[in-house]
Amino acid sequence: MDQPSHISVILDLSPSQWHLSSLPQNPYPLSLKSFLAQVLAFLNLHIASKHENTLAIFGAFPGKSVMLYSSTDPASDSSDSGSPNIYRPFEIVDSRVVTRIEEELESIDDSQEEAPIGLVGALTKALCYINRIKHPTPSTQSNGTTVEDPATLPDPRILILSVSPDLSTSYIPIMNSIFSAQKLKIIIDVCKIYGPDTVFLEQAAHLTGGSYVYLERRDALLQHLVMSHLPSPALRKLMAVPTQDKIDFRAACFCHKNIVDVGFVCSVCLSIFCRPVAVCTTCRTKFPMSTLRRLDAYLPRAAKQANGTAKTSAPPTPTATGLPSTPR
Amino acid sequence: MPGASRDGTIDGAEEDPPHTLLPFLQSQSQNTLTRLYQRPSACLSMFRLLPPLDRQLVMNLLWLESAVPAGTMGAWVTRQGRKLYDEALLNLSRLHILPNPSVKLSLNGMFKTSLRQAVTGGGNNGSFGTAALKDDKHPPVSIEVLDTYAVERWETILHYMVSSGTGQLPTKPSPGVLFLLQRSGLMSTVHGSALQITSAGFQFLLHSPHDQLWQLLLQYLHMAEEREMDLVEILSFLFMLSTMELGKEYSIESLSVTQKAMLEDLRDYGLIWQRRTQSRRFSPTRLATTLTSLLPPLPTATSSGAGSQDQGFIVLETNYRLYAYTDNPLQTAVLNLFVSLKYRFPNLVVGSITRESVRKALANGITADQIISYLSTHAHPQMRKNKPLIPVTVQDQVRLWELERNRLKSEEGYLYTAFASQADYEYVLNYAKQLNVVLWENPAKRCFFGNLEGHGNIRGFIERRTGGQA
Amino acid sequence: MPPRQADDYADESDSDIDILEDSGNRSKKGKGKAIDRSKKDKGKGKSSEQPYAWEASYTRSWDTVQEDEAGSLTTAVADLLARNRRRRLLAPADAIRRTIIRHLIIILDLSLSMLDRDMRPTRFDLSLEYAREFIVEWFDQNPLGQIGLVGMRAGLGERLSEMSGNPQDVLKAISERHRLEPAGEPSLQNAIEMARGSMGHLPTHSSREILIIFGSLTTVDPGNILETLERCVQDRIRVSVVALAAEMKVCREFCDKTGGQFGVAMNEGHFKDLLFELIPPPAQRALSRAAGAGANKPDADLMMMGFPVRLPDTSPPALCVCHSELKSEGFLCPRCSAKVCDVPTDCDICGLMIVSSPHLARSYHHLFPVKPYQAVTTLEEGSAFAKSCHACARSFPDAPLASSTATAEGMSPIGRYRCPDCQHDFCTECDVFIHDVVHCCPGCGK
Repeated sequence: MDQPSHISVILDLSPSQWHLSSLPQNPYPLSLKSFLAQVLAFLNLHIASKHENTLAIFGAFPGKSVMLYSSTDPASDSSDSGSPNIYRPFEIVDSRVVTRIEEELESIDDSQEEAPIGLVGALTKALCYINRIKHPTPSTQSNGTTVEDPATLPDPRILILSVSPDLSTSYIPIMNSIFSAQKLKIIIDVCKIYGPDTVFLEQAAHLTGGSYVYLERRDALLQHLVMSHLPSPALRKLMAVPTQDKIDFRAACFCHKNIVDVGFVCSVCLSIFCRPVAVCTTCRTKFPMSTLRRLDAYLPRAAKQANGTAKTSAPPTPTATGLPSTPR
Repeated sequence: MPGASRDGTIDGAEEDPPHTLLPFLQSQSQNTLTRLYQRPSACLSMFRLLPPLDRQLVMNLLWLESAVPAGTMGAWVTRQGRKLYDEALLNLSRLHILPNPSVKLSLNGMFKTSLRQAVTGGGNNGSFGTAALKDDKHPPVSIEVLDTYAVERWETILHYMVSSGTGQLPTKPSPGVLFLLQRSGLMSTVHGSALQITSAGFQFLLHSPHDQLWQLLLQYLHMAEEREMDLVEILSFLFMLSTMELGKEYSIESLSVTQKAMLEDLRDYGLIWQRRTQSRRFSPTRLATTLTSLLPPLPTATSSGAGSQDQGFIVLETNYRLYAYTDNPLQTAVLNLFVSLKYRFPNLVVGSITRESVRKALANGITADQIISYLSTHAHPQMRKNKPLIPVTVQDQVRLWELERNRLKSEEGYLYTAFASQADYEYVLNYAKQLNVVLWENPAKRCFFGNLEGHGNIRGFIERRTGGQA
Repeated sequence: MPPRQADDYADESDSDIDILEDSGNRSKKGKGKAIDRSKKDKGKGKSSEQPYAWEASYTRSWDTVQEDEAGSLTTAVADLLARNRRRRLLAPADAIRRTIIRHLIIILDLSLSMLDRDMRPTRFDLSLEYAREFIVEWFDQNPLGQIGLVGMRAGLGERLSEMSGNPQDVLKAISERHRLEPAGEPSLQNAIEMARGSMGHLPTHSSREILIIFGSLTTVDPGNILETLERCVQDRIRVSVVALAAEMKVCREFCDKTGGQFGVAMNEGHFKDLLFELIPPPAQRALSRAAGAGANKPDADLMMMGFPVRLPDTSPPALCVCHSELKSEGFLCPRCSAKVCDVPTDCDICGLMIVSSPHLARSYHHLFPVKPYQAVTTLEEGSAFAKSCHACARSFPDAPLASSTATAEGMSPIGRYRCPDCQHDFCTECDVFIHDVVHCCPGCGK
């Protein structure tokens, strides 16, 4: 049970969202700086728990994603002597992550700032990285000195700290990532720090058996992280972690990327449309007129909904809000 | 000896016993521990030694300013984890990390402050060791040198133990080490002759290097008091070493007097390396930096190939034949304890497990379980594909050989004999049988043997009877 | 069985069938006579060149793996990888139409011939085991499909389980081995008619398939089985047969006429391969060809589906509309807010088809595959090359591999593969992982 574990942390570092989050009119304003301080303390605790625990940190920036740190990287900057007051690995992680984030944020110019957040890239990179450490193939070339981790393969997890809303264009890639995480038996934990609940990440946590936390008291970020995302899967059998109280299984339609709760699905390729169409745009199947006429009966409602959902997220159906959400 | 004190099984998986150091720490006074907790590095290392659930509890409470009612924390525990949770609370309270956990949960103030400091960095107590300034004359020694040094030191100790009985004369470790070995009961002198390995010593050899190291260090701690060394200083120095970085040089300026005195001992054990005995700087070796981890403390051994230490090197067949891919004399010597070795090649030793070889080992005080666990921890990766790892035939046979030695069971008791008549005999025997204390009876000779507990009753019974007749 | 690649499998299995064809005829001749079990066994045994397995020359599987001069197997491994890559490059990159909503009835032979031990432990046990694996895998890849089970025993068709979309239901039906104990002769016609009957009501846009695991060489039918074949063709039911003994003309005809696949299992591994070939959703055009002159019903339709909200285990209990049971967890129909226990299902109140979107999304990677990466052959152009893999940050080798082995087609000598869209470089492992598992390029995020 006392196995080493691996966490890949994905930090959502959208400058605009973090700006919004730090505005004082929020109930609990949280700035990027204090967020990073708390996350670093969390990461240090993960390393502190076990000498063998490993860590990888990915940053999702507007339009790109970057690996900020990984434990397998050789520590290149061992030149500085290090402070006597801090455990050396903590110091390395902290300084590395902070400098990399600064570099990346500075390199973003105004035109890129509005680009969609590179969450998918970060997620797939995390998957590839975990795949790499799970199957330590001694690289084919025979220099051979690469000391791969011993047979104990760390128990991999992915933790997504999200502030951006769902990006409906990334529906399919996110779903594909979720399924591959399921295959690799990776748990995806999600902590939603700012903004509305994201349907996709809820599903990610649900399907992989992770925990999804919507952070209301954002001043207590660290406590939430420690209690619900730090325990290893084995430990979670003993100490419960919060799970989501309600999972929204809505999908994004292919035509307008709206998030729909009632959609029209092509029988051939299962493409989802928010209104009846005559020809499937994905597989070019023609649909019979009779069906279209029949479905048009629903159109007024469907069309209204489609217009309503043109924004980032669908208006909650009466059923969705009418239910009392249970306390976690 | 499955499941020492915490036998909580989750999904059939046996939980690891707690770290050997924890019981020792639990026996220390609150004052000692609180002084220890003043150092962030000590708190960090202690934290690592704790079992996982204890760790999680500490983390849950670490960032809370006020105490949590015990019920609130308990609500998070699943039914499955209830037992472990209670044990964890007890464990923490014994370590004085969590005072009276029955009502409110709140970490020991000193521990909380120090661990927070350790995690966030800050403060200026320099508990993680002051790095030495760059020395232009002598660049810091390379990791390879440190590793060879540590391995050499450590294997000297073990090798000395293994070969003490065989009449060979390997290099002697320093007097300090010898004294420690003697005190810990691993070796002993018989009538002032040379040191001989004891049965505890043989058992010691089959443990993992990590356990061996801690066993010796624990003994060192036990000896601290008579040597009038401050326990807190020693512990915090060990913990500090465990948080240091391999391949870096640290200055001894910030060490206390006790800690400076320890340098010599630790050098003998191979935990630290110094250029000269009077050097102002030292480097921890891998033995020291992995004190609080699971990684094999001895790096890829002296052998040239890929580390046989952590990879495992033993292939055992169902026909009791054993192939050990090693060129390490120590490993060969340890195997020699319970295997009759047949051939030796540059990188391979072949032998077989025989009745004689195992009996020799058993006579030395090694148990069958220890042999089996040694074989399974050092099994070659190729063998790990087998399920079960060690051939069942061999496992059973080794156990049977052990049972063979225990054919006689001694029990103290009393022999009742010289009964006047058969009726007398049967009357008393019946009474004894009702008490369920008869171990053996022989009606022909009119005698039976009862165990110790029954004696008082039987004697009283006979006396009453003879008294009644008289 | 030597490890073989799937791509050279195709022609191999063809040749097997050729060999088996005449043996099938041979056993057919024997069919007129009283069926004598030992004879039947020989029919199978003689199907290959050697009469008995133990007389076959010993196959030395290690011979097929070539060592290079240095005695290393890397060449062979690299070769395997290269073949995989080539196969991927050959695969059509554009979205092809596949039937995704599938209905399948598995017909299990439960006749006495299944007790033969030519497959270990017996044909019967092996078929059950593979059937279980098949069902699990099939539902994984066809989340919206449904499977029903029919057994052929003692001249009758026996319904083992109804059509169900829940793998657990189906698996339960074959979990009790003693209830399926083989007996008597099989009847193809009875079983197929029974299967056909239970698929008559299905919507036209979904596929109707029958998979027969057939161990016998005979069939005891009440009528003309060719009429059954006609009706299957009319109903556009695709029949596939995996035979364990030898080829039978009637089975071959069923498969050919209805557009299914036919195969004779040579050994345990081949049996599994034949079964698992039927798992990926069939391409749509095969279906339309098979339909032939048949009905001009539309083969596609637009379906209205609802994506429900899942209630947590802690929500206040309410009655579900399907079983009228009081329970906390469940799914809410998005249109009428009725509570149902499980998805996918049709809402009992408003009739809306309720599916959870992950079910749909599972099959999307068939539709939007990642473009194959191009092998980077030289580093000469430009200098700004990434030092490490864009996905997993493994550093690339500086120099091309010393051995000239990796010059195989489609392989990069420097271990770099580049996405044509985002121009990022990936290592060999990630290239395989991204295309086979993730189905999403980390560089372009789609």
